[in-house]
Amino acid sequence: MTSGSAEPLLSVSGLRVTFGSSRGDLVAVDGVDFEVGLGEVLGIAGESGSGKSVTLRSILRLVRPPGRVSGKVTWRGRDLLTMAEPELRRVRGGEIGVIFQEPMTALNPVLTVGLQIRENLKEHTNLDPAGRQRRAVELMDQVGIPAGKSRLEDYPHQFSGGMRQRAMIAIALASNPRLLLADEPTTALDVTIQDQILKLILRLRSELNMSVILVTHDLGVIAQTCDRLAVMYAGRVVESGPVASLLRRPRHAYTQALLSAVPRAGIVRQPLASIPGQPPLLSALPAGCAFAPRCSLAIDRCRAEYPPLQEVDGDHFAACWRAAELVGAP
Amino acid sequence: MSLALTSAITSAFSSARNRRIPFYVGVAIMTMFLLFTLFPGFFAPYDPLAFDYTQLSHPPSLAHPFGTDNFGRDVFSRVIWATRIDMQIAVFCTIFPLIFGTIVGALTGYYGGWLDAVFGRLVDLVITFPFLVIVIAIVAVLGPGLINMYIAVSSVGWVFYAQLMRADVQVQKQSDYAAAARVLGYDEPRIIFRHLLPNAITPIIVYWMTDMALDILLGSSLGYLGLGAQPPTAEWGVIIADGKNFMSTAWWIAVFPGVAIVLAGVGFSLVGDGIADYFRRRD
Repeated sequence: MTSGSAEPLLSVSGLRVTFGSSRGDLVAVDGVDFEVGLGEVLGIAGESGSGKSVTLRSILRLVRPPGRVSGKVTWRGRDLLTMAEPELRRVRGGEIGVIFQEPMTALNPVLTVGLQIRENLKEHTNLDPAGRQRRAVELMDQVGIPAGKSRLEDYPHQFSGGMRQRAMIAIALASNPRLLLADEPTTALDVTIQDQILKLILRLRSELNMSVILVTHDLGVIAQTCDRLAVMYAGRVVESGPVASLLRRPRHAYTQALLSAVPRAGIVRQPLASIPGQPPLLSALPAGCAFAPRCSLAIDRCRAEYPPLQEVDGDHFAACWRAAELVGAP
Repeated sequence: MSLALTSAITSAFSSARNRRIPFYVGVAIMTMFLLFTLFPGFFAPYDPLAFDYTQLSHPPSLAHPFGTDNFGRDVFSRVIWATRIDMQIAVFCTIFPLIFGTIVGALTGYYGGWLDAVFGRLVDLVITFPFLVIVIAIVAVLGPGLINMYIAVSSVGWVFYAQLMRADVQVQKQSDYAAAARVLGYDEPRIIFRHLLPNAITPIIVYWMTDMALDILLGSSLGYLGLGAQPPTAEWGVIIADGKNFMSTAWWIAVFPGVAIVLAGVGFSLVGDGIADYFRRRD
């Protein structure tokens, strides 16, 4: 939508997350920068272990020891990483909402859904009990749970997977956050339900004028929902830019390889390309580009020197020595 | 014996349709004891402390269903009045351990660190000694009597609740819903006591039921040893201790309170098992 507005809502710069281990520090996220504008949907894509979920979790300081987070996370002018705990608690849930991958486990099994919604309202709004109840019913309606009023008294295990995810969204959105962090919100759901949930998130985004960061490994989901995309590999952002140009003309060899691994309907059937090898271990990152060992386009320079993230096109950045050669490919 | 009987009853009704029967049996037993506790005068035909020198050591009869003891006291009335003392033992011995142990376990499990280290060593220290030995030692120092017995059992018993709670909270705090509660901006006491504790309380409740049964047995043992309730108070262990000298001539004095102890143990255990079973199936 309105990408690149004057003052970004959230700006992350030099984010670095390390986990101390017996064999030294493992760098899970290494110098990640991105911005989210008002009403914008940012996608963060990558394989398992690329650091995308850790990035998302470190924004709200959810990374627990032995994990350590450094860098700057600026939320409406304030640094979330150094903010005092009581102030952070007001941001959490009040200004930034989070939904998780597993609606099965992210709802408290012993509390009714209504209680969990009202609890958020009690914490972050000035509504009286009657007002909280009204708002809870309204939220159930807003996220498309039929017979919302009576279902408020149900426990999470009485909901289906898709309804549970809707309930989780209702809880996260109860006090009108300005930003929604969604950690693989559709991965655990059926394809048909996935689509409904994504449409729901998009609808709520425009109704509530909220920004969204959507972490997923599913490029189809990204294409459908996001304005901008950041692709992560081995703890770094390797390519970022507007979704349309990034998916049409990827300028990083990894993004290109990912795209050719996505099955497409409607074209002549051909074998799916897969990316050979596996992502590198965090304990044994190569000196140059982390993707070089698996890359069919790698040259000597890729193996020796890490490519910086450079503007390759208007608002489109890539960290690839072969970015120029990729123009026009797939 | 109580526990063996409990598992025998439970396994006899293992089919899906009959699975709830042992629980109902337990509830029935507990209801009976509860009525005895609340209205002993209604069920007991005689004064439990009144001597009747015309009826010394009479075997069970219609007038005295459990017989009479060597002072002519009605054993049936004594067993019923004793329920009140023994239920009091079950509750008073466990209420402090239940509350204190649960809170300590929840806090140490959640925060870890030095708090966990301090309480962990304290727990280790207590469980190094056999439970009965340490309780008897404390009562011996404080002096015999019910109050001192409550103090002794309470000061030791909480560690088991704390251990159970700590282990479960450590698991629960890693869960997604705990992370979800954190990102909703809730403070830590609320996360611990409102979100984690109800999810970790099931084993505690089940253990509590067993613990009450064990404390009745303990109370009776201490009563028997002369360290718990003092004669002439009617308490099951005390009655057995009184009757043990007459086992060959008047077996009924010791046997009927013994049956009551076993029955109470079975009742608590069946209720505990039923609760555990209910929570397992709800998951």
